[in-house]
Amino acid sequence: MPSTAHTGSGPPAPSRDLPAVIEEERLPAGLEQLPEPLVEHSQRERMLNAMARSCATKGYGATTIGDVCAGARVSRATFYDLFKDKEDCFHAAMELSLADAMGRIVAVYSPDKPWATMVRDAAAAFLELLAGRPTFARMALVEAPASGERAFELYASGKRVLQSLLERGRDDPVEETAIPSSAGRAALSAAESLIVGQILAGNTERLPELLPDVVYITTVPYLGQEEALRQSREAEKAIPRADS
Amino acid sequence: MAQGTGGEKRERWRPPRGRHRLPPEVIARSQRERLLDAAVRVAAEKGYGPMTLSDLTREAGVSRTTFYELFDDKEACFLAAYDRAAEALVRRVATAFESEGEWPKRARAGLAALLEELAEEPDVARMALVDFGAAGPAAQRRHRAVLQRLTPFFDEGRDYAPGGRNLPANTSRMAIGAVAGLIGDALAEERAEDLPNLLSDVLFATLVPYIGPAAATGEVGETER
Repeated sequence: MPSTAHTGSGPPAPSRDLPAVIEEERLPAGLEQLPEPLVEHSQRERMLNAMARSCATKGYGATTIGDVCAGARVSRATFYDLFKDKEDCFHAAMELSLADAMGRIVAVYSPDKPWATMVRDAAAAFLELLAGRPTFARMALVEAPASGERAFELYASGKRVLQSLLERGRDDPVEETAIPSSAGRAALSAAESLIVGQILAGNTERLPELLPDVVYITTVPYLGQEEALRQSREAEKAIPRADS
Repeated sequence: MAQGTGGEKRERWRPPRGRHRLPPEVIARSQRERLLDAAVRVAAEKGYGPMTLSDLTREAGVSRTTFYELFDDKEACFLAAYDRAAEALVRRVATAFESEGEWPKRARAGLAALLEELAEEPDVARMALVDFGAAGPAAQRRHRAVLQRLTPFFDEGRDYAPGGRNLPANTSRMAIGAVAGLIGDALAEERAEDLPNLLSDVLFATLVPYIGPAAATGEVGETER
């Protein structure tokens, strides 16, 4: 994160160049939306999909190349034609899904929206995306951070995009109190922890209900409690209720 | 440093070799402790995934047969090591927390103790916050259960804060996640020894959802003076 001139330890200056952030992270923005499961046009995609499914059921560590081949109905020879090893295949699966996911999140960004609205819309899009794609949710937030350096780096790059959305999109910098530069990163970790807890508890489809919590924790360092609570209550109204 | 948290560099006491009269449960206990120490060290060095049973038995100086008398598998041994470390950590945090009066001061004392403990025991820290993810879904749920044991320390913030009842239901869980995230980031960058310097950041992250950015910054400022 480039440091800024106006405050020593304060948050980075707001800026409106988010597409540049995507470029920095080497994630193609605005890919065609892929249905879940990933389009199974090719053997390669079938294998990526099988990898994601296996990670969701037994975890990356326990997944074998045999699982991927069986799930994709391909031979081991075909696997090794396309991938070096298990990690290579996982990385490819993660890369494809992540690029698509990030494209969707960044699509909510608009210079015309107030910052808080943008955060809410991005959080809602993220939660809905995860809820609609449980295998991706598990792969991206549970398996990737713990499955080797390459996967971790992809996961971290996705997180940096979200962090940039949170920090750099701000249109009214907090004058006063010079909050720590880590405030945005901490808020994202807070939201992530809550989300991962729900995924591990098997409640992935109910993630959209966490929107008021996520909106509160990500805005409170910047907007203060009163306004963050107001934004959180607004978000509450926007949640689609399955029951009731 | 509470006793028996593992990760010490010095050798743990071993029963004398050859014929001796130590009761079998004393020997088993010492072997168990050595295996737990080994799990912490090996997991920190090479990660949970690549860690093998042979690593554990070699490092602990016990036979495979002994290992299987004490644990079902590698995961069981790792989880036992984790539980032992978590127990010691939570106890130290609780003691520090309870030494202060007002919640922000209690939070600061507890967090300072947490950071110091992890800086003193970087192997334990790596195991708890970085490597644990690799140990599989069951282990991850266990890890989260331990993190949630810190909840009461954060929930006091609700009672302390004016309007604390209006805060979102998951505020404490999220605040814990923020602290764990900041610590995990530092550990991933191999900066375990710098952890005590994170106090301002983790204190702000802990306080801000309960008392807002202005008051949180004030409390952090007092730390730095």
